[in-house]
Amino acid sequence: MTTTSTKERAPGQGGNWPQTLVGLGVLATGLGLGWGAMGISSDAGYSGIGPNFFPWMCAVVLTVCGAWILWEARTGGFREMDEEGAPAHPPYWTGFVWVSAGLLLNASLITTIGFILSCALCYLLAVQGLRRAGGQPIANAPRTWIVDVLVGLIISAPVYWTFTKFLAISLPGLTNTGWL
Amino acid sequence: MDIFNALLVGFSHAITFSNLLWCLLGCALGTAVGVLPGIGPAVAVAMLLPITAKVEITASMIFFAGIYYGAMYGGSTTSILLNTPGETASMVTAMEGNKMAKSGRAGAALATAAIGSFVAGTIATVIVTLFAPYVADFAVKLGPPEYFMLMLLAFTTVSAVLGKSTLRGMTALFVGLAVGCVGMDQISGQGRYVGSVPELLDGIEIVLVAVGLFAVAEVLYAVLYEGRVVESQNRLSRVHMTRRDWKRSIGAWLRGTAIGTPFGCIPAGGTEIPTFLSYATEKKLAKDPQDKAEFGTTGAIEGVAGPEAANNATVTAALIPLLTLGIPTSNTTAILLGAFQNYGIQPGPQLFTTSAALVWALIASLYIGNVMLLVLNLPMVGLWVKLLKIPKPQLYAGILIFATVGAYGMRQSAFDLFLLYAIGVLGVIMRRFDFPTAPVVVGMILGPLAEAQLRNALSIGEGSPVVFLQRPMSLALIVVVLAVLVLPRVAKRMSQRRLREQAA
Repeated sequence: MTTTSTKERAPGQGGNWPQTLVGLGVLATGLGLGWGAMGISSDAGYSGIGPNFFPWMCAVVLTVCGAWILWEARTGGFREMDEEGAPAHPPYWTGFVWVSAGLLLNASLITTIGFILSCALCYLLAVQGLRRAGGQPIANAPRTWIVDVLVGLIISAPVYWTFTKFLAISLPGLTNTGWL
Repeated sequence: MDIFNALLVGFSHAITFSNLLWCLLGCALGTAVGVLPGIGPAVAVAMLLPITAKVEITASMIFFAGIYYGAMYGGSTTSILLNTPGETASMVTAMEGNKMAKSGRAGAALATAAIGSFVAGTIATVIVTLFAPYVADFAVKLGPPEYFMLMLLAFTTVSAVLGKSTLRGMTALFVGLAVGCVGMDQISGQGRYVGSVPELLDGIEIVLVAVGLFAVAEVLYAVLYEGRVVESQNRLSRVHMTRRDWKRSIGAWLRGTAIGTPFGCIPAGGTEIPTFLSYATEKKLAKDPQDKAEFGTTGAIEGVAGPEAANNATVTAALIPLLTLGIPTSNTTAILLGAFQNYGIQPGPQLFTTSAALVWALIASLYIGNVMLLVLNLPMVGLWVKLLKIPKPQLYAGILIFATVGAYGMRQSAFDLFLLYAIGVLGVIMRRFDFPTAPVVVGMILGPLAEAQLRNALSIGEGSPVVFLQRPMSLALIVVVLAVLVLPRVAKRMSQRRLREQAA
């Protein structure tokens, strides 16, 4: 175990901060599950284990895994990581914000402005973020914005009609006509 | 000839106009999904799960099976033509396929992949037809303790054996199991981890987790890390195999099928092991010095034919544990199980008696689907390749619209869309730090079933876990689970020691 880790992570002596946070996250999840499991009844019936058995098991195992991951992160980094799979570029947070904004606005607006408009907005923000991530200089041109809005509408409208008219699955609309 | 009759009845159900149309639609959509980078069969089926509310079960299962199948065909096209292989299933195909394409033999590689998929898929379907009813007959005799042990075996292989790190695999599995706990406990009916959110009482939908982990996470990951990755595409040459190509391919197809099928049958999952095994076998068996020299240089056709056949055989045979035991072994089969559950049907040994018409129509549709896919993928491959021209930003942003339909259409709740985003972020973290995702999905779907079996098993044993040791089948399964856990480690330790001794 140790031989492979030193080979894979030669420069990484000491702690790795992002990995430490992951370990803390898992640990916190385990502890949180344990805290939540305390409120679940242990009424076992004939089986000897009640509804709280699985939650407790998950809590204990995840706490142990979290502690272990934390230990790995603090002692040279995760073991058996595939270095080829690691991203070649540093993260591009601006693009992440664009796409996140698209998804979150979609979630908050879908019931008020309807599926078509809300999804077109989500598409617009996401495609703009992705264009910036790809370093496309045309991303900001007014023409690109107009094209992106139109494409968003061209994708979301037929999807909406297919699902509401053809499959009778209700999606929220701006009006009650089922067309917008 | 019970089976033969049943199959004929199945064909009579599958060959109705509307079912054939669903099959064709599924195959075409599956191929498209397989070709397009960024979405796979699991997420495509997940996004379309809302249709289970309206479409009749036979039609929708035929449709989903078509997607499941078609994606395997389409995936090989991408891995041969694009120099950035996507899913793990086609990674091995990409190794030789890419080299063949670079030396101007893309057409031959595509042909051997498609025909090999057809041969393997059909042979494996015959095996499903012949063996699934027997497995079901046998499985009827299994009680809760045996079922629990089978599920434990599936959990162990999917988390501890298949991935690179057992620790991260276990973490992913238990996250999935914990997600499966959310909602109403099925035996006592009390809410778990519900808090004050009434939406959570119904549990977390599999659609949300699958679409979040695969589609939304994929888009977020792409925008974060892959914006500047330059992709290059190989030129498509005429889809044609020479007499020599045929001679070299046929043996590889059959060997690949023979390797892949047993791996699909056992509740262990994963196409990585059989495809790699097939590749290694072909490399070793290559006698002709000229053929041997092609491996890793200009691309050997056996290296595409074998793994591609093994892949399809595994995927097809994986329907045996799904249909007869109700145990999914991959992301996609887990979601297919979710589709059955949406109809209130629990796959398992009773399925062959209670829903015989459905099962046989589904199996018959596999034969039909394979023929359709061969036609869709050989003469029409040029059409699918055009899909690779869709620019990444537009493609990924478009995926988000479909993700919204899948997530919202299931329960009509905007809360689910926020949850979808949170799961997407979790997926990005998991991918960045190399946590496998299959254990989450399998754990979440299989967790509640395993919990019920465990509690029933312990009731049989009047609260004593000794019940697992007293029954021969269950004891045997415990031994298998332990072997699966221990043997790979021992083998690794031994090969490391041998290496060290050689070095010394």
